[in-house]
Amino acid sequence: MTDPIEPPHGTSTHEDDDELLPCGRLLSRAWADWEDQARDDRSRDGEAGDAHPRNCPHCREAVRGLDELESAVRGLRTETAAADSYDSEPLTRRIMDVVRLELRPGRPLPLGEPAEDLWIMEAVAARTLRSAAETVPGVRAGSCRLRHVHEDGTVEVRLDIHAPLGVPLPDFTERVREQVRRVADRALGMPTAAVHLRVTDLLPPTADDDREGRTP
Amino acid sequence: MNDHTSNTPYGRLAAELATSVTEVPGVAFLRPGLTDRLRTALPRSAPHSAGTAAGVRLTRPDGEGPWHVEIHVVALRQARTVDVARGVRDAVGHRLGVLAPGEPRPRVTVTVTGLL
Repeated sequence: MTDPIEPPHGTSTHEDDDELLPCGRLLSRAWADWEDQARDDRSRDGEAGDAHPRNCPHCREAVRGLDELESAVRGLRTETAAADSYDSEPLTRRIMDVVRLELRPGRPLPLGEPAEDLWIMEAVAARTLRSAAETVPGVRAGSCRLRHVHEDGTVEVRLDIHAPLGVPLPDFTERVREQVRRVADRALGMPTAAVHLRVTDLLPPTADDDREGRTP
Repeated sequence: MNDHTSNTPYGRLAAELATSVTEVPGVAFLRPGLTDRLRTALPRSAPHSAGTAAGVRLTRPDGEGPWHVEIHVVALRQARTVDVARGVRDAVGHRLGVLAPGEPRPRVTVTVTGLL
């Protein structure tokens, strides 16, 4: 039988596969700048900001694929908009999420029982678990790492969160931990050995926090 | 290791398996393939080529033994991810049994590379 801990062939196992561009900027930074610029262009109509991403050939090349993809997604939206009433803005965002996760997938992590040879890429699982944590009102999720895979195929989750001021942290973090564990099990089917939370900041509650959590 | 992907005698088999994977409930599409799929939405793009084996890798590690089929899929959020992966594994095993009867039981590895 296949070793359940052995990851599938041909997938990245790098701790952090971010790429340093010849101009000295990280690939992830170029993507983040592209996203910021796209958002700013829509909301402020091109106000001057950091000119480097627009002028640097390396940064522009790094985001060229994203530009093409965004154009394609917008074309898809136009074509399908008349056909149904599906909310296409979240669709666009979800597609872009998939693209980003495909570009920086992280390592494969086991799904299901240890010997099943079923896997999910770390970045995909991490995105889901961050969203799960943020369904608890007041939580803002940060870094989520799924690093330690035990011999029984269970995974340890390490999640940084911002918590609201004025709540008893032990109870609060237990709610977050339980929510992450539940989603890992019910939505993904990824067995967790432990969910380690680190509260990196305490923030004043906002109006949003009064609602039943954020949209996953 | 023999790699039986497109342009090999097993390329057609991989394409058949790809088709069976995309029919599994909860599967959005195979990876890679998102960009190609989106390009079909552009006015001047070529028609989507049916039977592409994107996201399917078919190998026979020791030449004669069982096949190793590696599948990379993007799944839908509304389905439980592990159940989608199991459905893919079962569909591939079943399809391979029909297409290549008498072969040793294949190893099927399924990796979910995105959720939509």
